[in-house]
Amino acid sequence: MGNVMSASFAPECTDLKKEYDSCFNEWYSEKFLKGKSVENECSKQWYAYTACVDTHLTRQGIKSALDEARKEAPFEDGGAIKDQE
Amino acid sequence: MRLFKNSYSFEYPWDQVTAANWKKYPNEVSTHVIAVDVLKRELIDNGQKLVSERLITVKQGVPKWIMMAMGGTNVSYVREVSVVDLANRSLTLRSCNMSYSNILKVYETVKYNPHPEDPVNKTLFEQEAQITAYGAFTKICNKMEEWSVQRFHDNALKGKKGFDSVLEVFDKHWVQREKYVDDLGNSIVGKVADTVEDIKTTAEEMLKETEMKSNSILTRHYDSIKNAFKRNENM
Repeated sequence: MGNVMSASFAPECTDLKKEYDSCFNEWYSEKFLKGKSVENECSKQWYAYTACVDTHLTRQGIKSALDEARKEAPFEDGGAIKDQE
Repeated sequence: MRLFKNSYSFEYPWDQVTAANWKKYPNEVSTHVIAVDVLKRELIDNGQKLVSERLITVKQGVPKWIMMAMGGTNVSYVREVSVVDLANRSLTLRSCNMSYSNILKVYETVKYNPHPEDPVNKTLFEQEAQITAYGAFTKICNKMEEWSVQRFHDNALKGKKGFDSVLEVFDKHWVQREKYVDDLGNSIVGKVADTVEDIKTTAEEMLKETEMKSNSILTRHYDSIKNAFKRNENM
C-alpha cells in the first residue's frame, strides 16, 4: 500500500477511514494542539467512517469481545480498569 | 500478576510526539499491525481533552500449523483508550488484548509527558504492563508470567529505537510544515489546497522512506504469547 495512513480492519471501510484520518491529523496539529478548537471538525467524515466500522464489528464477531473490554475498562474512565483487586 | 516497568526520554517536544502517535502505523517494520481503527472519539473539557478508543488489528507471523493446533485465526485485536490532556500536557494510552484474554491478559499503560528536566524539547515516556495468566494454565502461570516479563524487557529497547526513528522523520515534516504555514501567510487563499497537498505528499514520501517501528508491548508480543502457549502444551 502506497499510503502512509493505516488500513481499517474491514477493507470496505479503508477509504472512509483515510478520509477521516487526513481530516483529523490536520485538525489535531493545526487546531487542537494550539488550543483553537472546542469541537472536532471532521464530523462528516467521522459519521461515514464509523457507520461502516460499526456494521463490520458486528459482522465479523468482534462486537461481543469489545463490549466486554468496554465494561472492564470504560471509555469514560479513560480506559482505566474498573475492578482492580 | 506481574508488573513490567520502563521509561526513557525522546528528544522531541511533547506536541510533536503526540501528533506522531496517530501516524505510527503502518510502517515497514511493524508489519504485524495490519489495521488501526478509531471506534470512539470525544473532545471534552472545553476542547482541552481528547479521548479516543482504537482497535488495533495484529496479524502474527506464527506458522499455520500452530494456529490450527490452537484452533484460532492468526488475527488478534487490541483495544486502546487514550487521553490527550492539553492542560496537564499529558498523553496516556491504556491498552488490553481482546483476543486470548481468557488465557493471558496484558494491561499496558503508556504515558508521555514533557520531560521534567527539559520540558520544551524533550518528552518523558513511561510504560507499565500488568501481566496476568489465567485458567487451565494455573500451574504454569508463574512461569509464563515470568517468561512474558523477560520477553517484554528484551524487546522494549528495540521499541524505543523504533519510535525514535518515526519521530525523526516526523520532526523534518513538522519543521517543513511550519515553513509552509509561514509562506501561506503571504499567499492567496486559492493556493491553500495545493500547498496542503504538497505538505502531505512530502510527508508521505519521507515516512515511506524511513523504517519505522512500533513501541507497543501488546502489539509486539502476540508472537511471544502464542509461542508461550505452544511451549506450555509441551510441558
